[in-house]
Amino acid sequence: MKPQITQIFTDFTPKKITLKEWSKQFRELDMDFISQFFYYKNNDWGRYLFPPATFMVYGARQLKHLKFDNSLAALRLWGFIFNESERLFRAKQSNKKVIAVMGDLGVMPIIIMSFPNCIPFYPDCTWWTPFFNESNVLLDRATELGTPEASCFVRSALATFDKKAYFPKPDLLFASTGASCDDYSCIMQMVENLGYELNWLEIPYRRHPAKYLTDDYKKTEQGLEYPARFENYLAQEYKMVWDKMAELTGINDISLLKENIKKTNQLRRLVSKIKNLVYKADIAPFPALEMMVIEFGNLYAYADFDEWFHILQNIYETIKERVEQGVGILKPDAIPIAWVMPTADPILLNLVEDMGGRIVATEYVINQSLYEIDETSEPFHALAKSFMNASLIGSTEERVRRIKEQVEQEKVKGVIITNMLGASHCATETRLIEKMLSKVPVLSIDVPAPLGITEQIKTRIAAFMETLK
Amino acid sequence: MSLIGYTCSYVPVELLSATGLQPYRLLHGNTDLSRRAEKHIRVDACPMVKSNLSYVLNNQDKFRVLVGSTGCDMSRRMFDIIEETTDIPTLVLNNPRTDRPEMFNDEIDWLVKQLENISGIKLSDDLLVKEIEKWEKEREFCRQLDNKRRAIPSLFSTTEFHKVVMHYHQGNINNHFVSADETNSKPRVYLLGSAVTYEAHPILAILEQDLRIVGDFNCGLSRFLNINITENNLSGIKSAYYNQPPCIFKRPNDKFYSFIEKQLNEFKCKGIVAWTLDYCDNYEFELKKIEGFFNLPVLRIRSDFSFQNLSQLRTRIKAFAEML
Repeated sequence: MKPQITQIFTDFTPKKITLKEWSKQFRELDMDFISQFFYYKNNDWGRYLFPPATFMVYGARQLKHLKFDNSLAALRLWGFIFNESERLFRAKQSNKKVIAVMGDLGVMPIIIMSFPNCIPFYPDCTWWTPFFNESNVLLDRATELGTPEASCFVRSALATFDKKAYFPKPDLLFASTGASCDDYSCIMQMVENLGYELNWLEIPYRRHPAKYLTDDYKKTEQGLEYPARFENYLAQEYKMVWDKMAELTGINDISLLKENIKKTNQLRRLVSKIKNLVYKADIAPFPALEMMVIEFGNLYAYADFDEWFHILQNIYETIKERVEQGVGILKPDAIPIAWVMPTADPILLNLVEDMGGRIVATEYVINQSLYEIDETSEPFHALAKSFMNASLIGSTEERVRRIKEQVEQEKVKGVIITNMLGASHCATETRLIEKMLSKVPVLSIDVPAPLGITEQIKTRIAAFMETLK
Repeated sequence: MSLIGYTCSYVPVELLSATGLQPYRLLHGNTDLSRRAEKHIRVDACPMVKSNLSYVLNNQDKFRVLVGSTGCDMSRRMFDIIEETTDIPTLVLNNPRTDRPEMFNDEIDWLVKQLENISGIKLSDDLLVKEIEKWEKEREFCRQLDNKRRAIPSLFSTTEFHKVVMHYHQGNINNHFVSADETNSKPRVYLLGSAVTYEAHPILAILEQDLRIVGDFNCGLSRFLNINITENNLSGIKSAYYNQPPCIFKRPNDKFYSFIEKQLNEFKCKGIVAWTLDYCDNYEFELKKIEGFFNLPVLRIRSDFSFQNLSQLRTRIKAFAEML
């Protein structure tokens, strides 16, 4: 895959800038340059490089309160992210199949993308929309449809299905349930109640072995043990997804899946390299907010694998250059922090950095999408084994094991956990996580509804940072 | 240590009992237990999960082993906390939410092996026959009471029924002290929703001051009566437990609605009482559908086990009864 940039753009001195500053900086780019960046390889209608203010005008009002990295690579990232809704409608218009995948966060899209002209997307990810839009419209609609107010913000996904304005009608829908959070399992059921036909998949609970138990156990590359037969169950589920897709497209060539696993691994390797560079550099070379977006790109490459990969290559080069030059976007003495649970409100990541923190480790409930997949095994089994790394299907100890290691090695000075009131796993896991990571100070925050970041929350973060200092 | 605790309607009580231990379903719910658990679990967790956790932590010496399932997420995760804070062995089986009988059957086979390991007792065919007969006899006894409950007019209250079935859930069977029949013609209602805990007696009594609960679909009340083992062996156990009327968390959950609809018609119910515990996702997310689907008036009662709003609750129940 060749990078597309034909005209060199020289980044300014790295720093985090506001929307206004980005608009000013954007004027430095000429049209020929802008026209080099497009999705679905279509230069006629696929351009996505706009001043971020454009997206604010179209509804993402929080952009005016956020701070962004000032590199071209980050500009591409934001343009691409906020263009997703348009991209999905365009996909449908251009006769691609648009497939909704829900709940598993990371594996089903690998199967979907193996089929030519098939685009997967996660309605789950619209949980950020109310926050980026600084609007309760989706959450209010979800409440009207029957979701409890004290539940995960992912309930906004239900409202997007109801409103039919955020993505086109999917050609197929796959929903994963089983050892998953109750909130989203219930939301998926409500989506079905709206009249959508869901294909349900079962996710097994990753029961870990103990001395008094007997079973035939296997181990993932990351060292998580699981009963061997669970891999078989999952492989059968993925085969079911494949068969449905084969029926939809008329294509049934398993070599496409093998190829796509290789492509997925390229993406995962690249993201891993980016994370290593950013988290291990002396000075933070890239902001936490953009890093969260990068990590989540592993789920489905924001519905255009090739372009997302190019953007990541651009980001990697930018970061590498910064690290080599010893420059970054935070002060050298920023305090290393681990973040557990992705925050629904992006502004929290900005706030923590503004107050002197630096994110160097994350547990964003998507462990299953971070590691390379075995390219030598039978592909459905390889995918199943890869999913056995999932964050939420096993014990809390397994989930935070990597963070705990970093705490033990004193690479992390504090931990922030962002919860949602009423979300099933937050309610039951948080105290345990606090206890497991108690060697360092832990701050647990309940993320409020959009525009709900109060002085009280800011003061708590400030006090936490003071403690760490 | 004489108890084998369990949390889910899909865990076969016959297998637990075959170990020689007393099966004890964790169905606790009161504010004191709930509050005490908040050292280990957040305030926004299901109050029954909190109460059960406290109960186990306070009675660690009584439990030889605990058996759970992946039914409710919070309930499953409670076992994580128990594992971290006690030495009680825990066995959590995958209870598939989708229609995957082979997974359930494999998990029951696994459970049998673990129980044999822990107890040192072989769960032989002969032993299982005895256990099946013992528990089926108890269920049959409770079914007769349930028949009186649903009779027209109803002859047995759910408040009294709750006292009897508590013995079943606590493994204290053959305790058949039953109050006399009592004819009642108050408005007939169906109770569904979150579990009815051992301490929920006052709530049932308040409800039945103005209403008559003639049927229910709640853990802690009559759900276990739907287990009907027709083949006296392990395969019969698997089949009966797997094919019981499905819990609301099954996906898709249309069979749950068909089953309730059938019961509502059979029992001639005039209304539904939807009992939910705070943060019980599986029911709270479905309440709106429940209200619309059955074409019957629904009284919602949400509880954290406190009785602070008792007067208000009484008024609401009276108004509901009057409406019916």
